[in-house]
This record gives sequence, C-alpha cells and structure tokens, in this order.
Amino acid sequence: MIFFAFLILPAGMYLFRSPLLAALSLPEQSTSLAFGFLLLFAFLGGEIIHRLKLPRITGFLLAGMICGPYILKLLKTSDVTDFQLFDGLALSLIALTAGGEMKIGEIRKRMRTISSLVLMQSVFIILGFLAIGFVLKPFIPFVSQMTDAQNTAVWLLLGTLATATSPSTTIAVINETGADGPMSDLVLTTAVFKDFFIIIFFAFALSFSRSLVGPGTSFDLGFLLRILRDIGGSLLIGLAVGLSIILYLRFIRRDITLFILGIAFFTYQISHHHGFHPLLICLLAGFLVENYSPHGDRLIQAIEKSSLPVYVIFFAISGASLDLNALREGWPLALLLVVWRGVLKFAGTYAGARINRENQDVRRFAWTGFISQAGVALGMAIMIERTFPEWGGMFKTIVLAVIAINQVIGPIFLQKMIYRAGEA
Amino acid sequence: MRVLYAFGLLVLIAFLGSRFLFRRSKVLSPWSFLLLSGLLYILLGLLLGKVGLNILSPDVLRELTPLICLGLGWLGFLFGFQLEYRYLRRFPGKYLGLSLIQTVFIFLLTVLCTLPLLRVLFPQEAAFLLAGMAVAFGILWTIHSPSLINAAAGSLPNKGNYYYLARFITSISGFWGIVGLALLDSFWHYPFFKDQPLLYGILVFVGGTVLSVGMGFLFFALTKKRPPEKDLLVFLLGFVFFVSGAAFYFNIPPLYTGMVLGITFSNFTRLHEVIYPLLFSTEKNLYVVFLLLIGALWEFHLDVRIAALVLLLIVLRVAGEMLPLSAARRILRFPFALPPRFGLSFLSTGGVGIAFAVSVKMSFPLPLTDVFLTAALISILATELFSPLALRWSLLKLDRNQ
Repeated sequence: MIFFAFLILPAGMYLFRSPLLAALSLPEQSTSLAFGFLLLFAFLGGEIIHRLKLPRITGFLLAGMICGPYILKLLKTSDVTDFQLFDGLALSLIALTAGGEMKIGEIRKRMRTISSLVLMQSVFIILGFLAIGFVLKPFIPFVSQMTDAQNTAVWLLLGTLATATSPSTTIAVINETGADGPMSDLVLTTAVFKDFFIIIFFAFALSFSRSLVGPGTSFDLGFLLRILRDIGGSLLIGLAVGLSIILYLRFIRRDITLFILGIAFFTYQISHHHGFHPLLICLLAGFLVENYSPHGDRLIQAIEKSSLPVYVIFFAISGASLDLNALREGWPLALLLVVWRGVLKFAGTYAGARINRENQDVRRFAWTGFISQAGVALGMAIMIERTFPEWGGMFKTIVLAVIAINQVIGPIFLQKMIYRAGEA
Repeated sequence: MRVLYAFGLLVLIAFLGSRFLFRRSKVLSPWSFLLLSGLLYILLGLLLGKVGLNILSPDVLRELTPLICLGLGWLGFLFGFQLEYRYLRRFPGKYLGLSLIQTVFIFLLTVLCTLPLLRVLFPQEAAFLLAGMAVAFGILWTIHSPSLINAAAGSLPNKGNYYYLARFITSISGFWGIVGLALLDSFWHYPFFKDQPLLYGILVFVGGTVLSVGMGFLFFALTKKRPPEKDLLVFLLGFVFFVSGAAFYFNIPPLYTGMVLGITFSNFTRLHEVIYPLLFSTEKNLYVVFLLLIGALWEFHLDVRIAALVLLLIVLRVAGEMLPLSAARRILRFPFALPPRFGLSFLSTGGVGIAFAVSVKMSFPLPLTDVFLTAALISILATELFSPLALRWSLLKLDRNQ
C-alpha cells in the first residue's frame, strides 16, 4: 500500500497541475496543497527507504529531490520558498535536541578527544584542499587563469567549507536509529562543536582571502568583529531562551509541546532576521536545560512528541532545494572533491582519535558522522559568492554539487557506522 | 518580518486564550458563553485587523492564508470524524426526518425572505449574485452547534428525549450546511460562474467528493496496521493539508473536503481512541488562531442596509427554528410533543457557522461578500449572545417538566 500511495500521490499532483485541470484552478493558491503533498510523499519515501535498511532521512531527501523543481517539477521554486518557515522551526528543534543530549560530564571527560578531532579534521582538510588545488589548477577553467595567491584563496575557502558538517543530519540519524553509545555521543558532540568552530574560522578565512585576492585590500578586522559580536549576542540570547524554558518547565508545565514549538519557531525567525545564529542559541538553550535544571528529559519528550512532521518537511525541503542543475554541470569535479574530502575526513578523524588513544571503532568509523553537509556550508557558499562576484558563482556551483552528493550519502554512511559499532 | 510578529502575536493569544478563556463554568450566562465559544476572539481579531490597529494587515493575512485553509480543513475533518454511522444509527430515524424537515424549512424560508430584501437593498448587483447570497444565508441558517447543549448538559436534571433529540439535530445539521456550501461553491463557482455553471458545478462537486473519499480510503489503508502515534500525526496533518489545499486550489470549500475525509476515515478506522486526543490537543489553539484571523479578515462596515438584513436574519432564525416543529410532529408521528419553544434550543450556530461565513468570503472575493460576512457575523454574534437564555426557556424547562 505504501508503494501504491507513493505512486498515486505524484500522479494526482501531476493531474492537478496539468493543463486539463489547471483551467479550473487558482494556481496562486497552491501552497497548502504542495505542503500536504510534500509531507505525505516524503514520509512515504522515508518508509520505503527504511525497508531497504537505509535511514528515513535519505528517503525524505530523495523524495524532496524527486518532486522538486528539477526532476518531476511538482513543486515550484516559489512553493519551496514558502516552506522556509518550517526550515527554521526544524533547525531550532534539532539544535534544542542536540543541546539536550549534551551532558556536561561527558563533555568534560572527552573534551580532549573532541578538540583533537575538530583540530585534526580541520588541518587535514584545509591542507589537503590547498594541495589538491595546486594539482588541479590547470584543469579547472575558472581558476586556471588566477595567480597563485588567488588560487590559494579559492582552495582555502573550499577547504573551510569542506570541514563543515551538517549537525542536524547527524542528530537526526542518531535519533532515528536510537543510537546510544560512546561513539554516537562523541560524533554528535564533535559535529556540534565543529560547527561552532567553523563559523568563527570561516570569518578569518574569508577576511584573509579578501586580502589575498583583492590588490590593496587589507585584512578586514571589522568583518571579524561583526562575526564575533553575532556569536556573543547569540550566546546571550541562548542563555535567555534556556532560562525561559527552565522557568516554564518549573512553574507552568502545561502544554509543553506547544510552548517548545512556539519558542523554537520565534527564536529562529527573530534571531535569523537580526543576524544571530539560531543553531547556537537553541543549542545553548537545550544544553542549559539539560545540565542546569532537572527538566532535560521533559524537554526532549516534548520535542519528540511533535517533531516528526517538522523533520519530514525540513529534509524534504532540503532535498527539493538541492541544485541538481549544478550537480549536472559539475559532477566530475564534485565527485572528485567528495571522495578527496572523505579520504581527508577519515585521515583527520583517525589521527585525532589515535592521539587520544580512542578505541578502534572510533578510529575506523567516527569519520562517517561528519560527511553530511547542508545549511552551514550553503550559507558560507552564498557569502563567498557575494564577496567575490567575479568567480563566486562558479565556486557556488561546485559547492552545491558537493553538498548534494554529501547530503545524500552522509546519512547512509552514518547509519551503517552506527550499526557496525553496535550502538543501535 | 511583520508577518512573523503578527503570527507570534496570534500564537501568544491562542496560547493564553486556550488556557484561560475556555474555562468558564457559568455556561448559561450569555457573556460567559461568548467567552466559552471563543467568539470574543473575532472581536479581538477585528481590533487587530485592517479596520483596527492594522497589525494583521491585508498583506499579512494573504501570507497567513494557508493557516486559514488548514483551520477550515481541520474543523471540517473534526466535524466529519464525529459522524460515525455506528453512533448515529442509535438514534431513531424520526430524528433524522425532523432534522431534514427543519433544514429544508429554514433554508426555503430564509432564501424566500432575504432575496426580495436583497433586491431592494442592492439593486445595482447582478441577479445571480444576489440569488447566490440569499442561498448562502439560507444554508448558513440551517447550521446548528452542539457545543452549547453539550456545555449545558450538567444543568439538565433528566437528560431525557429532548436532550438527545437536541444533541442529534445540532450535531447532524452541520453536515447539511457544509454539503450545501459545497454545492453553492460548485454551482456558483468563482471565477468561472458565468460560463457553463452546470457542467463546472457537477465537475467540481463530484471531483471534490471523489478526491476526499479516495484520500480517506488511502488514509485508512495506510494506517490499517496501527502505526506509532508520531507517524499517525504525520498522516493526519498530511491528509488534512492535502485535501484542504486541493479544495483551496480548485476554490471549493476546505470545510467540505475535510469533512468528507473525516467521515470516510472515521467509518473505517479503529483508531478513534488515538485520533481524538490528537485532534482535541490542537483544537482549541487552532480555533483561537482561526477566529482571530476571521476577525481580522472582516471588513466591518455597518449601515442601514446591513442593519435591516441582520434584523431580518435574526427574526428568520427564531421563526425558522420554531415554526416547523408542530407540522413535523404530525408528519413524522413523533412519539413526544414538539412545542415551538423547543426550537429555541437550536439558536447557536457555533464554529461551523462562522467557518461557513468565512468560506463564502474566501471563495467569492467580491464586494458583496463583505456585506454577507458582516451581516452573517453580526447575526451569528447576536444569536450566540441570546442562545443561552433561549436554552433556559426551552430545553432546560422541557427537560425539567419531563
């Protein structure tokens, strides 16, 4: 029946959009229809993929890609834009969950490993990308005419982007598989910390690249200060949100799910609008509730109760938003970069784990938790495009293609790793 | 950003409102019932809307339209889900007959009385539009709400025949009203109502029904092997959004497609004990948001013509509920007396009536429907205010004397 429904729904949507019925419709009022369709289609896609022993998230993503503006075109680009409200809600819920899963005792115990994983991955990937950049320079049209300094800037930025992971995907796969063990905890915490680190490092890399690329352009300290102000502000807001949740759970306690949904939604929208980092805010809020109040479990339960529809839509929108035209144009280079990134991730994680004498499972499998890429990398690519308009467009095309591949294979690798390590 | 803050305000009011205002205990006091039924939110919405503070401006409302669409579909589903054949067949067939007679009588009475008045008041409007508006008033007045009777159940000492009959009629009449709305929307289909209305009407009505029944079956088939509660929520939201979105896309009422989905699913599934808590946990908040949006949509404008229309509508409502009872008793050979006073138990139209009025406004974005919405909402508010007192004079006394 699931297969039947999975086929009949797009057929119905195709009929609705066809010229036969389009004459009877009001095309500008299609948002609700598209939303209902995407929710059902992606959920069924997740169920089908799950039967193939793959993560549901991959199914949500693939379903989004299939019905999105590039393949079946059942969703218009404007529909996908209209759904962005849910994107924020999902990201906030994911970050709250992640913060709620981070136990301060565990972090203290493994802080050294986390730091060395973040550091070694970053060093391996950035140096690795700089190295391959010089090898590939003659073969890539948009960098072949650049000076060595400019080429360095491009590959420094690509390396920084390649270091970024999608903590939301990592968290979602860990939640879905019900993974519970030292390696899953380590991967989750590291993914979140790495994101924090990368946001700061990216500010440095971008400013440095500007000074390399533009003749007479110096290192932009103001830009860096703005980034630091945003991060400081985000931490303060996170503190306030965390305290609000604690007070609510302590004194009111009713309709917790509704309250959490509301606070997650508005935290994202308002902070995003004012340039703060919603992921960081919600992460800190969740962390505070878990570690500085007795209400951590209640928070997680409230989120779990209503989060599935939001996650389905979030990952389906991610799939629908993936630029498949970019993938079609630049897939050979993208594939090469994906493989190279994977090799460097493995090497960096192995080295970081070995330095701290982590067990063989962590050394061999933990890298798979850092493959997925989504929002953070995409946001950085957009900033690079705006900062370097002369080659930023080509750069973004490659990055989008790399993200598309990583976002599809990432959850599969992570799920396999969790099963191999026996943590689910 | 304004949409966001407006939406935030809505959620905040909904959150606080659902916690405090629905908890009044003196149900049979008119003011308390106004709070209990949530109608106060319409006035609050009016204050926040274009005619008031303009926080919920027309642009903001346009962006929040999917929420109204979901609200209508959700209300329709909730209503349809309660129409279970297993439950309805417990009532005698005569009850259904009385409901039909009353529906037909009040519909005809309202159409026949409002149409001449509309022609006098709005001579510049096209005849087919005025006829459509009279039909819309007629259908609106066939709708009753069981919420007041359910809320007053504690005050009834016997809960005898009159109570069960009143509950049955008020519960089932929404069905006729929503079907009538679907027919109205189909045969006066906007913006195509000038070309081949019969063909389009049949196509749209049958198409909407087949789609909703089909989706109801699919919903049942997918949830036959009891899924976890989380998965059920996804299906529930997905199906309600899909059918109400499809209705909105083809400009037929989401209330109707939601109701048909609810009826189909409810009569096949065995998951009632899981679905009801899911529906009720969201009902109050969604209803408050919905009422606020309706208030904001309302372009309130009062003049002599609207006042005359409202006055006539209130008289018709009272007369239409009271007059057919004696005749119906004779036709149906009812086993107990049906004094005209009993008809006063049915004055409240509740949420379905309001949803109906808004559906008409959304389906027909014409200046005339602003008049319809204003007249309908004022009449509904007036009868709601009066209905607790009317219930005291009718059902409460009849129940005591039983």
